[in-house]
Amino acid sequence: MVLEIKKVSKNFGGLSALTDVSFSINKGEIFGLIGPNGAGKTTMFNLVTSIFPTSSGDIIFKGEKINELKPHLITEKGICRTFQNIRLFPQMTTVENVMVGVHSRSSSGVLKSVFRPKSQRQEEEGIKVKSQDLLKFVGLEGYEEVVAENLSYGQQRRLEIARAMASDPELLLLDEPAAGMNETETEDLFQLIKRIQQKGITVLLIEHDMPLVMNLCDRIAVLNFGVKIAEGTPKEIQDNPEVIEAYLGREEDELDA
Amino acid sequence: MLAELINPYYLQVGSFMLINIILGISMYITLSTGQLSLANAGFMGIGAYTSALLTIHFSLPIPVGVVIGAIFAGLLGIVVGLPTLRLKGVFLAIVTLGFGEVIRVIFVNWESLTKGSVGLSGIPHMGRELLKTVKELGFEPKMLGLQNNQFIFMAIFLILLVIVIFVIWFFKRQNDSRIGRAFSAIKLDEQAAESMGINITYYKVLAFAQGALLSGFAGALFAHMLGYISPADFAYHKAIDILIFAVLGGSEVIWGPAFGAFFLTLLPEVLRFISEYRYMIYGVIIVVMMVVRPQGLIDLNVVKWIKRKTTRRGLKNGTGN
Ligand SMILES: Nc1ncnc2c1ncn2[C@@H]1O[C@H](COP(=O)(O)OP(=O)(O)O)[C@@H](O)[C@H]1O
Ligand SMILES: [Mg+2]
Repeated sequence: MVLEIKKVSKNFGGLSALTDVSFSINKGEIFGLIGPNGAGKTTMFNLVTSIFPTSSGDIIFKGEKINELKPHLITEKGICRTFQNIRLFPQMTTVENVMVGVHSRSSSGVLKSVFRPKSQRQEEEGIKVKSQDLLKFVGLEGYEEVVAENLSYGQQRRLEIARAMASDPELLLLDEPAAGMNETETEDLFQLIKRIQQKGITVLLIEHDMPLVMNLCDRIAVLNFGVKIAEGTPKEIQDNPEVIEAYLGREEDELDA
Repeated sequence: MLAELINPYYLQVGSFMLINIILGISMYITLSTGQLSLANAGFMGIGAYTSALLTIHFSLPIPVGVVIGAIFAGLLGIVVGLPTLRLKGVFLAIVTLGFGEVIRVIFVNWESLTKGSVGLSGIPHMGRELLKTVKELGFEPKMLGLQNNQFIFMAIFLILLVIVIFVIWFFKRQNDSRIGRAFSAIKLDEQAAESMGINITYYKVLAFAQGALLSGFAGALFAHMLGYISPADFAYHKAIDILIFAVLGGSEVIWGPAFGAFFLTLLPEVLRFISEYRYMIYGVIIVVMMVVRPQGLIDLNVVKWIKRKTTRRGLKNGTGN
């Protein structure tokens, strides 16, 4: 087991965004987290990465409780994420963005960075090569020196994935990576996530694109109003009446709105 | 011939310019993590008083006093930087401006130590101390065709010039490294930076303390360059001076505040009447810059443009790299 979510709740003032949610993710699988808008999916990511403290419950990563650690230490432990509303460093170049991601896997301090002994120069070179390789891996070869804010939407999403992978995560959290992508981009993304899995990285995926989720995920959990209403294989989820109800009910709301 | 060109007055203006460049850079470093601190005039005072008192009362050599003054200001920077971590933007600016004012009030009121608002005089003077030392070694300025005071002012200027070159070199290298990337990631998006594994507490306090250390360093140099200091030298108008270096010159690249400091120290000397209207002109600069060019005169594009120009010229002469 890589990640165990144990009876986790989160309240924002009077609103309970998550209520007693539990699930666990096995090593190497792609685990889907789905549910209508506002169901609490992103909040779950924010709890796992310690952006917010949990109101109750435990988050266990490789047998260790992590829900009181600071966010940068979570990254150091081997969990990294992308953001639903892209949060790159907009004025940095593409390669610089990824190089920032290597931060927790490098160590040169102030004096080494200024006086640059051989160990620092090797480390810096390694960071650069690794970042370029990751850009190649996500299909951004040739865009190294482009300023991130000038990339297309789909490219920015892939850059976020490369940046997160730069910290060598064992568990990668992807928050709606296909949002705003066209069909070909989504197909490329499908292949990319498959290749990430092949590297042995466990993936927790939030996504609204149902064909993508159903084809990609080994298992899926469904949230609705902060409560887990189902968990199982894609087949089981597709046939689950409660899930269909949650989605259909919400879609009617959306049509009315 | 050389002797006639060496004008103590110009050298003194140049020396002030170099001190101000260090102060401008101190502001820039803290800002490069997105923290707008106006405490640097206060830290400058800390460095100045610390080094002055140590060299007066304990006869420490000037370099030792300067280093201790800078380190003490840097440590105080950690003490101030930690609790103000949560403050952002204008709130941090107000609190740090308040801190500077507290420091000034302490200088004014702790009369037994600081001589109050009159200030300290008789601080060992780096130029004169140097002259004494070289004379003991058998060197006379006359050997270079210089008068004593020409030698003194030139020595100060050259020492400060070497220091400023070192400071720029140091922080340019730091900037172009893992540390610099962490700084700018924090400036651009603190939460994303934290989620990418950057310990934002550490780096924000580091930047704050480095700014404080550098201000203290500049202050200590200032004390030993003039030989006398008073609390008024480090009051809020100095904090505003330093801020304007960054507003006019820019704070995207290290050359921005350095240029701002250079230009704004030179301006009142060239156009005498300006010094009377100094703060009025500063007001105009702030308003105009915010409207027309909020990133300051020197930004990344300007630096790239200059680099392109100079490398092209270099290539033509066959010296390009
Ligand atoms: N920082 C916050 N403060 C207050 N409420 C929040 C915050 N973040 C999320 N929420 C609320 O929690 C609920 C779940 O949001 P979210 O996790 O973003 O949903 P999802 O990602 O499933 O669309 C929503 O009602 C949202 O308004
Ligand atoms: Mg969401």
